[in-house]
Amino acid sequence: MNVFLQSVISGILVGGVYALIGIGLTIIFGVMRVINFAHGDLLMLGMYATWLVFSRLGIDPFVSVAITGPLLFLWGAFLQKTLINRVLNALPQNQILLTIGLGLIMSNSIMLMFTSDYRILTTTYSSSSFSLGGISISEPLLVAFLITAVITAALYWFLLRTDTGQAIRATAQDRDAAQLMGINVQAMSVLAFGIGSALAGVAGALISPTYYIFPQVGSTFTLKAFVIVVLGGMGSVIGATLGGLIIGVTESLSAVYIASGLKELVVFVLFLGLLLFKPSGLLGKTRA
Amino acid sequence: MKKMLAPALAALSLALPGAGHAQVKIGFINSITGPEAPIGENLTNGVDMAVEDLKKKGVNVQLIKQDDTGKPQVSMSAMEQLATGDEVAAVVGPYTSATANAVAKLANQYKVPQVVPAAAKEEITKQGYDFVFRLNAPAHQYAQSLIDAASELGKPKTIAFIYESTDFGTSVAAAGKDFAQKKGLKIVADEAYQKGAPDYRSTLTKIKAQSPDLVFMVSYVADAILLMRQSREVGLKPQAFLGGGAGFDTAQFESEKDISNLVFSVTQWTPESSPAAQEFADRYLKKYGKKPTYHAACAYASMTIVGEVAQQAGGDRKKIQEALKAGKWNGIMGSVDFRDYEGFTNQNELVMPVVQYQGGKSVTVFPKQLAKKKAVYPFPGWK
Repeated sequence: MNVFLQSVISGILVGGVYALIGIGLTIIFGVMRVINFAHGDLLMLGMYATWLVFSRLGIDPFVSVAITGPLLFLWGAFLQKTLINRVLNALPQNQILLTIGLGLIMSNSIMLMFTSDYRILTTTYSSSSFSLGGISISEPLLVAFLITAVITAALYWFLLRTDTGQAIRATAQDRDAAQLMGINVQAMSVLAFGIGSALAGVAGALISPTYYIFPQVGSTFTLKAFVIVVLGGMGSVIGATLGGLIIGVTESLSAVYIASGLKELVVFVLFLGLLLFKPSGLLGKTRA
Repeated sequence: MKKMLAPALAALSLALPGAGHAQVKIGFINSITGPEAPIGENLTNGVDMAVEDLKKKGVNVQLIKQDDTGKPQVSMSAMEQLATGDEVAAVVGPYTSATANAVAKLANQYKVPQVVPAAAKEEITKQGYDFVFRLNAPAHQYAQSLIDAASELGKPKTIAFIYESTDFGTSVAAAGKDFAQKKGLKIVADEAYQKGAPDYRSTLTKIKAQSPDLVFMVSYVADAILLMRQSREVGLKPQAFLGGGAGFDTAQFESEKDISNLVFSVTQWTPESSPAAQEFADRYLKKYGKKPTYHAACAYASMTIVGEVAQQAGGDRKKIQEALKAGKWNGIMGSVDFRDYEGFTNQNELVMPVVQYQGGKSVTVFPKQLAKKKAVYPFPGWK
């Protein structure tokens, strides 16, 4: 029983961070209908920013979220304004090529600057945990989860309650209609890409204390984020949250009850199965 | 055409100033670029130092370096170039298991003596290749030394394996499982994991539930640290953690005092093994500004032996092969003797020292003749 609870809890904690990565991707897709294959590399940039401020300035990874978030927001906004914006009406394969190319440029530039060595952030709490009824809970992971929860809640509030948030959602629902209603869809796109990459950067900062950093780390997370988003329904923020948690728990449980080496397999079988019965994802609406 | 070219080239080399009569051509294949480059650098440094030292002893080596970028197909064309184009007397390298194994086949075909300095894959010297020699210990030794050390230190009854699902991980773990069974240990967990996953907590919890006496891990650099961090988190507490080289045998792991403390690891070489080794380590540190890894030491020893033998044999490939087979050397790797045993051909039987991290420093604790300090066993628990 303990083993079961333990794996569910670590699954949820890891899943929370997955969700954050997925939400960023889904917002970008929702507003621009562009699949951002450079998402994992934005996360990687977030990790390197965290590592830099930690090793040079001694700023705690969790505090540095306040630096990496805005930094990645500006970078994302810049990318969308100068590059992504130009391919919004292009063929999907051209958009994919552009984002993949951007990802490659980012990871290889980082490799040139910092070499391909693994970096490990060692904080005083990197391996500390506390026990709750025989179940050990990782402190850094719990803090990361709580920060994720706060950010997600703030994001919901922003999207649902503020004018700008509603304008973003309107743009996501129907770009042309939104434009006709007087919404500046250009600005909304810049904003959405900025928010998306800020979320990726924050996620990168949050996993830094418990994971390790290298220039190619992005690809693992791009794939994961993509699965999460499709699973939850393309463009749905709640779907991505749910998708992240489901993937986290599934991985964790299948590592215990099936085999550690096969956990990815289980995730993808589940993914295929779901798409078979619900092609638009858990909370996705089929677009007319 | 080729027949005419060879004497012409010979005449040319005689005419060149400085081309002494004692010069021998030796090829060196290594991962100079590509993903293995950070480790490959150690081998290059070791070989460079060996060539300098040989020169002082009057052995003039003309070293021809080839980069295999870590890919078997590139290493094979490098070998063909060295064997037929440059016509080297012998070859040292390549570094990785995959490339060394690919080159071994060609070395035997072209009858060029090859000395593998640091590749662990079992098969390399198990194919009956007369011209292929290996200085370092093969994969099964990792597991054997560690389990031997643990059984000597305590009375473990059960063992759990956790290893990455790569060529290296599975082959070391497979050899470990074999040997554990021979030693009468019960295998209570056998977990292969996908390299690079951020969360091993559930797997480690599962292992903890079996409360094994020994936990044997095989992984590369970063995962080793992650695994130990998470073991601490979930409170896994066996009698001993055994780290199968690689990620557990790095300066980075050593420096993570909180989690590396009292973990056992195994290595091909430590500076502590002999005064000559210590002297080599000091000179290396002075020259390159960092501590030598076992790769550097293995490469240095391989090149020294090949250089000496090749000169004595006058660059004749067959004579070099015979001399390597017959000879015995003493140096920074201890005694080196290429023998045929247990299905291996031309394999140096190297005893791998087992080290334990004590307060952020690795100390040799096993076997007895190399031990510098007493091992702490069993593991007293996490701080």
